[in-house]
Amino acid sequence: MKLTSRYEQTSCRLVLEGLPDLSAGQSSQTIGILTGFSLALAGKTELEGQRDHLQALLTVVLPYARHVLSGVSKPMGADDAPVAIRRAQDGHELELRSSQPNTPPLQLPLDDAELADLVRCLDRLQLDPQVAVPLNWPEPQPLRRSELRDRLPLARRLAAPLSGVAALLVAAALVSLLPTPKPAGPAPAAVSTPARGG
Amino acid sequence: MADAPSHPQRVLSRRGLERLDLLLLCAEALDLNGGEAMVWLSEEMGLTDLFPNRVELWKRRCSNPLRRTTRRGLLSEAEADGLIRILNALADRLYPMLRSLLSSAEPPQLSEQRWALFRERLQELLQERFNPRRGGVQRLLDPQQGPELCRELIQTMALSAGPGGFARLKASLMDAAA
Repeated sequence: MKLTSRYEQTSCRLVLEGLPDLSAGQSSQTIGILTGFSLALAGKTELEGQRDHLQALLTVVLPYARHVLSGVSKPMGADDAPVAIRRAQDGHELELRSSQPNTPPLQLPLDDAELADLVRCLDRLQLDPQVAVPLNWPEPQPLRRSELRDRLPLARRLAAPLSGVAALLVAAALVSLLPTPKPAGPAPAAVSTPARGG
Repeated sequence: MADAPSHPQRVLSRRGLERLDLLLLCAEALDLNGGEAMVWLSEEMGLTDLFPNRVELWKRRCSNPLRRTTRRGLLSEAEADGLIRILNALADRLYPMLRSLLSSAEPPQLSEQRWALFRERLQELLQERFNPRRGGVQRLLDPQQGPELCRELIQTMALSAGPGGFARLKASLMDAAA
């Protein structure tokens, strides 16, 4: 018995089809074996794929969204990965590379709203108790300082250390203007004043 | 993501507190009843132990160092989680509005009117409650830098909405200091 699970959000529709994995003790209403999925993004081609493609999609889209949330536009997806995503001029570009030879990659432009819709559909799939397909979901993690380095322009990153060095140089110049104390001469011989007799 | 810190901090940094309170302020700028909605959602989500009333909720938000009247000290992990949950629920309620602001398919004139209204309300709230001498506030009020920063805030809210938004936003608020 084929089962279907749909996730829709304005510009995005993700549909999973599969079968229950009764041998794993799952209920007959739970998708345990994925037979295919389709993804429709507003005004663009409807995409179809298997579990590996779905895994590749969520492996790049969710970490990319996580970085965007911190103001970092880090391209995701290796050269040989089936899916990649990167910042484009007015939004983002999702690139799908076919495993068929001589098939050029498909580039889909997404604006910020369409990216948010896609992320929401993937989030709902992750938390859907009716889907138990073994997928590896990346866990959101805080970014390291080195990963955030590109967020600030070079001038602002260098402003603090450069102003520190400048302040040190100014202070050193001012200190050098202070007159040096003259070497102390021979100490006068101590003369004891006689105490007045009374 | 495997190279994430092995011992992540548990409480929000000053920068994390600033961003969280700014995002809550954005929710108020988008929804005139945003302040009331926060109190109502807090009760709805069973957070009354953490925030028994609106004054306590307000006090936690005043941990933001950018505020005019700021409270010393950091939030506990449970308090920060509570505020992030409230923001997550607010962003979910406001998602259609956030989406229409971010969408390039909207008529440009209408979109610009919506952005102008949002920026005007946010500036009013910033001038009323935040310290205008702080660089972060000045950048938001700056006519050159302000619009871009406002867009970043709205995009952050859109990606913080929905079922996975809580974990994503919490991780982002715990980023290392840049």
